[in-house]
Amino acid sequence: MTDDVEIDDDVKMPRIPIAASLVALVGLADSVYLTASHYTAEPVPCSLIEGCEKVLNSEFAVIGDVPIAALGALAYFAAFSLALLTAFHYPRTWQLFGLLTAAMAAASLWLIYLQVFVIGAICQFCMISALSSITLFVLFAVSYFLSRGKKPVSAESDETAVAN
Amino acid sequence: MSKKKEKPKSNLPMLIIAGVLLVAMIGGWYLLTRPASPTASNANKANSAPAAKKNATIPPNAPKGAQPPTQAGSPTAAVVLEEFADFQCGSCAAVNPTMNEIKSIYGSKINFIFRNYPLSMHDKAYDAAVAAEAAGMQGKFWDMQNLIFTNQAVWTRSDTHKQAFKEYAQKIGLDIARWENDTLGIAAKSRVDEDLKRGRAIGVDSTPSLYINGNLVPFNEMRNIQSMRAMIDAELAKASQPAEPQQ
Repeated sequence: MTDDVEIDDDVKMPRIPIAASLVALVGLADSVYLTASHYTAEPVPCSLIEGCEKVLNSEFAVIGDVPIAALGALAYFAAFSLALLTAFHYPRTWQLFGLLTAAMAAASLWLIYLQVFVIGAICQFCMISALSSITLFVLFAVSYFLSRGKKPVSAESDETAVAN
Repeated sequence: MSKKKEKPKSNLPMLIIAGVLLVAMIGGWYLLTRPASPTASNANKANSAPAAKKNATIPPNAPKGAQPPTQAGSPTAAVVLEEFADFQCGSCAAVNPTMNEIKSIYGSKINFIFRNYPLSMHDKAYDAAVAAEAAGMQGKFWDMQNLIFTNQAVWTRSDTHKQAFKEYAQKIGLDIARWENDTLGIAAKSRVDEDLKRGRAIGVDSTPSLYINGNLVPFNEMRNIQSMRAMIDAELAKASQPAEPQQ
């Protein structure tokens, strides 16, 4: 007897988009917390590395009147939605996910640079967000390269192959 | 590869997405409206020093800021502490007790200068700075400053923050009509603007920023009274050394 179960390809959920949706949830929770902290002006507890407040009160923490954390929350919610829809075999959502997470990862690298070299302080909550963004893009990149070695996309389907 | 048959898409992902959105909104609402944690302001523990900053010293040609500055201690003291703070910044409120302790310990041995540095991201910070400066015009800046910082979590979340400032003004015994007039006048706003100009010229990019004799104090040191005392004592010792004889 074996535990392996034959799963119909139509209903099997790709593991990478599922993992991506879970990572996006981490980023979403972190961003919502940072956004709320911005508006309540309550100090963010940092137990490991000093500097959350220094970073969050810097001029780089906002674009106009909008806190970057709020933009992050929107981006993570969008990433979560796209990853989940991909897991349920919705068409073209994984490509959109790739574009979105590429932008998020690039923004995160820039924000890490600002923390380390310009502000001179590290905000661990910001780093959680940055690592989540980068992880999402890495997941997309991994699935992209894995899918290149797999079956070609069906002419009848709009779906891009998503490696499991 | 077998040809796949188009199946109607399930509503399940949409339900999950809606559920996550709902949870995020409820979570955000809870975080925004929950009572301020009394321990939150003590949560930051200094563990490592941040990297050196590009604005680590005050350039001598920087604008002077509001004159005379809001000052405690002795204006002629050899050791000058200059703090740039934003009344709506959580860290500024968190370090305020340490700053008060320093003022209390050293008295006239130091010249403690407070500079307003309301960040544009904080919608009520400028009003708070003007309220404190208007109180300063009646000689009660520090009383007002302490009340504004102590009650930060209250007025920050209030739509009637100016009314809260008025209550603080009444509490410290200001002439309210005069204080209100001063909050609307140019003088108090000019002082805030002058401080802002100085901070920007120096390159202050976050609050609180504290300089001791023109040198930036790492943020983690600001919360640590022992570190602060060691730095001030070192500056006092330097100041008390006899000058080198002229060749």
